[in-house]
Amino acid sequence: MTDTPRQLTSLFNNSTLNRIERMRLNPLRRLTNRSRGEHLAGKGGSSTDFADYRDYATGDDMRYVDWNIFARLHRPYIKQFLHEEELHVVIMVDASTSMLFEDKLTKARQLAAAFGIMGLLSVERVSVYAIHQQEGQPWKLPPGTGRTRVPALLRFLESIEGGGNVPVEKAIETMLRFHRGRGVAILLSDFLTFHDLGRSLNLLFSSGLEVWGLQILSDSEQNPSLEGDLRFIDSETGETLDVTNAGELLSLYHEHREWHTNTLHQQCRSRNGRFASINSATPIDAVLFDTLCRQGWVLR
Amino acid sequence: MNWPDFRFPWGGWFFLALIPLVILYFLKLKRPRVEIPSLALWQSVVNDQRVNSPFQKFRRNLLLLLQLLLLCLVILALMQPFISAGPETAEYVPVLVDCSASMSAKVQGSDDTRLDVAKERVRAMIDNLRGDGRLSLFTFATGGRRLTEFTDDQQLLTRALDEIQPTHRASKLDEVLRMAEAYARTANVQRVIVITDGNLRDRVDFELPFRLEVQRVDRGDQNLGITEMSARRSGADDPNAWDIFVRVAGSTPDGGVGEVTLTQNGAIVGRESVVASVDESERLVFTVDSSDSSLIQATLKTDQFDSLDLDNTVWLNLPRTRPLRVRVDPELYSWQHAFNVQPDLEIDTGAEAQAAEYDLIVSSSEDLKGSHAPIVVYNGVVPTELQDLISVNDMQAGDDPVEIVDWVNTTPLLRHVRLRDVQIGQKARYAEGANSLELEKRGYEVLIHAAAGPLMLQRRRGLETEYYFLFHTDRSTLPYRLAFPILVRNVLESALQQAGLAEVAAVPTGVLPPLSVTPDRALTIQGPAGSSDTVRSTGSGLLQGIQADFVGQYNILDGGDVVASVGTGLLSPLETSLQAVEELQFSELSVTTKETSVIESDRQLWWTLALLAFVFLLVEWWYFQRMKGSVA
Repeated sequence: MTDTPRQLTSLFNNSTLNRIERMRLNPLRRLTNRSRGEHLAGKGGSSTDFADYRDYATGDDMRYVDWNIFARLHRPYIKQFLHEEELHVVIMVDASTSMLFEDKLTKARQLAAAFGIMGLLSVERVSVYAIHQQEGQPWKLPPGTGRTRVPALLRFLESIEGGGNVPVEKAIETMLRFHRGRGVAILLSDFLTFHDLGRSLNLLFSSGLEVWGLQILSDSEQNPSLEGDLRFIDSETGETLDVTNAGELLSLYHEHREWHTNTLHQQCRSRNGRFASINSATPIDAVLFDTLCRQGWVLR
Repeated sequence: MNWPDFRFPWGGWFFLALIPLVILYFLKLKRPRVEIPSLALWQSVVNDQRVNSPFQKFRRNLLLLLQLLLLCLVILALMQPFISAGPETAEYVPVLVDCSASMSAKVQGSDDTRLDVAKERVRAMIDNLRGDGRLSLFTFATGGRRLTEFTDDQQLLTRALDEIQPTHRASKLDEVLRMAEAYARTANVQRVIVITDGNLRDRVDFELPFRLEVQRVDRGDQNLGITEMSARRSGADDPNAWDIFVRVAGSTPDGGVGEVTLTQNGAIVGRESVVASVDESERLVFTVDSSDSSLIQATLKTDQFDSLDLDNTVWLNLPRTRPLRVRVDPELYSWQHAFNVQPDLEIDTGAEAQAAEYDLIVSSSEDLKGSHAPIVVYNGVVPTELQDLISVNDMQAGDDPVEIVDWVNTTPLLRHVRLRDVQIGQKARYAEGANSLELEKRGYEVLIHAAAGPLMLQRRRGLETEYYFLFHTDRSTLPYRLAFPILVRNVLESALQQAGLAEVAAVPTGVLPPLSVTPDRALTIQGPAGSSDTVRSTGSGLLQGIQADFVGQYNILDGGDVVASVGTGLLSPLETSLQAVEELQFSELSVTTKETSVIESDRQLWWTLALLAFVFLLVEWWYFQRMKGSVA
């Protein structure tokens, strides 16, 4: 009798998990914290990676004088090394009701798990916020680092049920009320909101977070198949909208959807961030190992 | 282009129902509910759609558009739209419908007579009647008859129209126009419409005070008919022989072929083929023997199509043959001598009259001694009632001779009689202040005028005619002149004519000729169509004024006995010809008759709109079902 390996998480299988563990996040900028970490900052530090030489100045630590150079040149030079700082990876999962359609939340949880594992295994400080309501406390996983946090991360994500009426801009603001630290903010949402996201993205940017927006849309949102006179009901607010002859409006809908995606992309790019839009029906392997790799989000 | 008008324009207020329809449609539209993650995208789509085309909602909402169209069509149908056929909306329009015999003519291949066509046109006018329009219906043949007052009551007009029946009489426009003129004084009549086949006399003795619009129905087809029938005694050889003359005319230039059958008291006495056209009629002569009174019937038959049946049968009453009964005073030798050479006379010259009834009396006294005749010639007699106006004296030596100035040579008695050089031994004078007008007032007409006064008078009393020679003919050179036998012959001819012994003519429809019957009796007149009427004869035994509108035989019954029988025929060459005049000549102007094929009635559109509404209803139902299916 052959023992089947136990699945470590319900979010994806072990093989996917193994592949994820060998991947790393690829932030565009080195937005790190001053606390020590494994992420090499651009400025001088105390890691083992050599960076540059400089003239000795009074008060410098004598231990960093390169004595070989001094012997040859009879002048003291200080050896400089790359500084290793922690990178904050803050993952925001939009857990509002709109994400409950067609496995959008599941896809968001899978991606959050993947990004979190990549962050933890890179010894970054990873925190996760699952925001579903405008009021009250969000579901959050406090910042942590190291492989030991992986089970907690997975349990947290598995426990997210979703349901609520928070719009994405409010969710971002809610997250920023709790989060401190520079790094990467990964926003997993459908980004379907009535309001402009510019202000929220500015807050992220000014908080030292590189914005990674990953839009998850369901198939019915990307390619709706509707006809006739319909009354749409917003899943979050319960508001209604009467649409006449929806079939004839589909082309206009696609124009608006593309415009919306392009706007989000532009907003993220203008803040030195990334943006991608995926279909919730796309397999997680295809998203992680193909789409995001090709777009440079992650490194294998 | 005629824009539609509406009979019920107030129905337009129902268009306000469109507002609640639109509101209810959008408020109560039963839309399928679809829950979606977020309205964000769709809201922007809808906003964009509204901004770009505010009316796109209506345009794209086919169901609402169909409902709006359906409601609009129903409301429009309710408003009863129509396209006016023309100006048949004048204020007051008398409509004169020709009911003459020619209107009974049919066109080959159709059962409709021309009167039916005319009635359809009038019906169209009645249907077109609206607003302040008023119609008054008249019919006319020889005379006119008003059927309705000026009214806009379409039911009343239609009922009156339905009652119009063709008559068997010739058409004459004058009388009905005068009638319409009289009624026109009670209303503002600008024009009068005449619906006719144009079979009218082209000259109308009438001054038009209004505009006359003559609308002609279609021409008739081929027709043959008897236009004339008369009989004359054949001559002295056979006193019982009569020549019957029958004239047959046609309506087309090509001519038609027929056969005339003559019956005498039901027995066929003659049969002749005949060919007649509109330009050339044919006259047939039959000879029959009739010692007693008999009824002659001429019937025309043709194998070809014959538009008009009315003119195919004519009746003629032949009187019983007998000598003319003449009473002459014994002292009137010249008259006796003249009568003695005439054939077929039964002359009474005795001092006392042997009979009470004569055909002719020639008397030298106003006292006829109890005898009676339809024609009386007084010789040397001044009527008692004129003795204050006229005096007659013998000529004295030295008096100027009596000069005959003029005489009425058209009167039957003086036809072909020359009196210019006749010497007269008596002189008639008017009393002071008297003249021929005074005589006319008393019922006398002057036939011979002399320089100083009248020489001969005529007075008519019913069927009787009295001639007065104010001078004694034996006191003149008249008996010695050629004019005298001519005068005597004229007197006899008149007497024969009056007695119906020499020549009789068929009676046309209209009024029966006066008949001599038992005085002061109630008699029953049985017409050809089964009609019956009671007429009382006059004290002098005269029965006159009997209406005979239809072709056929009229029996006069005294109790159960037939005392007289008279047949009538159409006998109108104009009616038989079925020809239509192109232009009517009135006193001062002429009116063109127009052959309008159709007087269009108002085209009613409500049923078209109702049909369209029904179609839209079906389309809407189909679309609704399709839409439901697509959502499901």
